[in-house]
Amino acid sequence: MLKLNGITRRYGGTAALDGLDFTVPDDTYVSLLGASGSGKTTLLRLIAGFEEPDAGEIVLGGERLDGKPPHRRDIGFVFQNFALFPHLSVQENVAFGLKHRETGAIASGSELTDRVAAALDLVGLTGFGHRGVGEISGGQKQRVALARTLVTEPRLVLLDEPLGALDANLRARMCDELRAIRERLKVSFLHVTGSETEALTMGDMVAVLAQGRIAQAAESTMLFHQPQNPAAARHLNAWNLLAGTVTGGALQTPVGRLPLPRPLADGTPAQLAVRFDQIDVAEPGAVPPGQDHFTARYLTGEFNGPTTLSFFRADDGELIQVVDHMSNPRLPDLEEGKTYALHFSPEAALLYEGAA
Amino acid sequence: MNTGILKPTLAIYAAIFLLFLYGPLIILAILSFQSQGGGPQFPIQEWSTYWYRHLFGVTETSRVSQLPVGDALVRSLILAFMTTVVSTVLGTMSAEAFRTRFKGSGPVFYLIILGMMVPGVLVGLGMALLSNFAGIDRAWWGTAFVLHVVYTYPFAFLVMLAIFNRFDRSVEEASLSLGVSPAQTFRRVTFPILFPGVLSAMLFSFTLSYDEFSRTLFTVGRELTLPLAIYGTFSVEIYPNIFAFGVLTTLFSFTLLVVYGLLMKRFTSRRARFSGQEEAA
Repeated sequence: MLKLNGITRRYGGTAALDGLDFTVPDDTYVSLLGASGSGKTTLLRLIAGFEEPDAGEIVLGGERLDGKPPHRRDIGFVFQNFALFPHLSVQENVAFGLKHRETGAIASGSELTDRVAAALDLVGLTGFGHRGVGEISGGQKQRVALARTLVTEPRLVLLDEPLGALDANLRARMCDELRAIRERLKVSFLHVTGSETEALTMGDMVAVLAQGRIAQAAESTMLFHQPQNPAAARHLNAWNLLAGTVTGGALQTPVGRLPLPRPLADGTPAQLAVRFDQIDVAEPGAVPPGQDHFTARYLTGEFNGPTTLSFFRADDGELIQVVDHMSNPRLPDLEEGKTYALHFSPEAALLYEGAA
Repeated sequence: MNTGILKPTLAIYAAIFLLFLYGPLIILAILSFQSQGGGPQFPIQEWSTYWYRHLFGVTETSRVSQLPVGDALVRSLILAFMTTVVSTVLGTMSAEAFRTRFKGSGPVFYLIILGMMVPGVLVGLGMALLSNFAGIDRAWWGTAFVLHVVYTYPFAFLVMLAIFNRFDRSVEEASLSLGVSPAQTFRRVTFPILFPGVLSAMLFSFTLSYDEFSRTLFTVGRELTLPLAIYGTFSVEIYPNIFAFGVLTTLFSFTLLVVYGLLMKRFTSRRARFSGQEEAA
């Protein structure tokens, strides 16, 4: 189990990580979701020991890690750009750690060959050992990078946007394989990504990193359905956030007054979150009874294959997104520039106290 | 410009360029095969290898004294070797330092570069005065050596800076994360990847030092280096034996280049072999 307590890392005057607490359980695939510049790579580099935190402690299996040099931490790192050794063959790349590491280096040639072959087997690269790393494709490089890390049997594997350099097709396949490989090895993976779909697909547990802290860490469906705070909701890229102030028992927002799911004192700043796929569209005045609603002007639609994303602009300029599934269309035919009523069930809305 | 004219124009330009580049060398090579009676000019009276034999002292005594270059050659080679080692090590170390922007890195950069910018004669003269003033004897292995390093070190530094710029630090981190110590990481990862660059820096340092003239002139002391020794013979009279010697040193330089090329090829071949389309894994 990896425990991070109060990790702070500053660059110049700004804190990339600000008193971050987080726990990575054993034998779990954890994805860490964060926008670019949110400090997610910094966090991995701190755990790996390439950088040291300004404050806080890193503990792995009861042993304090911070302050230890990276090569004594026994933590694997898979780089976004693969970082294969360009002067070595695939086989030599994979054998590198076993052969040259400070403790427990393997001298026996046959054991080395066996371990390397097993690692290449694991990532589906049997028979590629003799190739140069310049002679293989991007997906294969990623597998070599993985095999090279896994063969040394680290206590924890950190993956820094490992699929970022692959094309979409390959990414989907590597996703499945990464999960399968991890399940076989029973070691924890901490996978950093900026893509919410990747994070939700991969992680047994997904952690959202925002403002230098973990906004929420939860099982992926739980996180998707019940984000605990606006930061988590925003990172999922599936929730509309409407900020306002409570007045007279309702939330006064720039798009109008919306009923509150639970009562809050007048003057409290709060935000309502409604998921993209839980908003329906109707002609103004034709809102079904019992539904909360506000009006907005239809801007344009974005066709994404099985789903269509529709963009609405509220009177104050707020952008509202609505998802429609092709197999189960809910939306009427929309006309650009026309104003519609966007309505949703009161149970679908989440309420967050606090200013946006 | 019309490509119909462009191509022949460029071809002629390239031909003239090559002629000027290798012309002097070719003339030298031809004249080195002059016979004993011939002078250092055309026409060739009779083709012979007399001057080569003369160079090595295997001819019967002649009125032309043997070229006094043997000791100078050894000195120049040792000096160039010492300079190469010191400049490359210094250049590599300072380029490594410049990978992080340290305080005052800007001025330090220009101070290093200054060594190759300032006129050689002035530096040589200054060094001679300084060593006189400080009571240090001038010698090829002392005062001249220091100036050779000052001169070649910026070149090695610039070469290594370019190499480090392209060097991806994450491979070092990858090695560390595999449990390999920093020293082994340097030996097994950093150095092998950087070696072609180091080789280039060494080649630069060696060739620049080997035929350095102006800086050496005032600082070399009594025992001359090769370029000075050759220059010294000019003041007496020129015989084709100097051409023969020129041809031999040029061959030596080419050999160095070939060794460099082979080493480069050996160290870079594996990365460059594949350039085809990426297929799905």
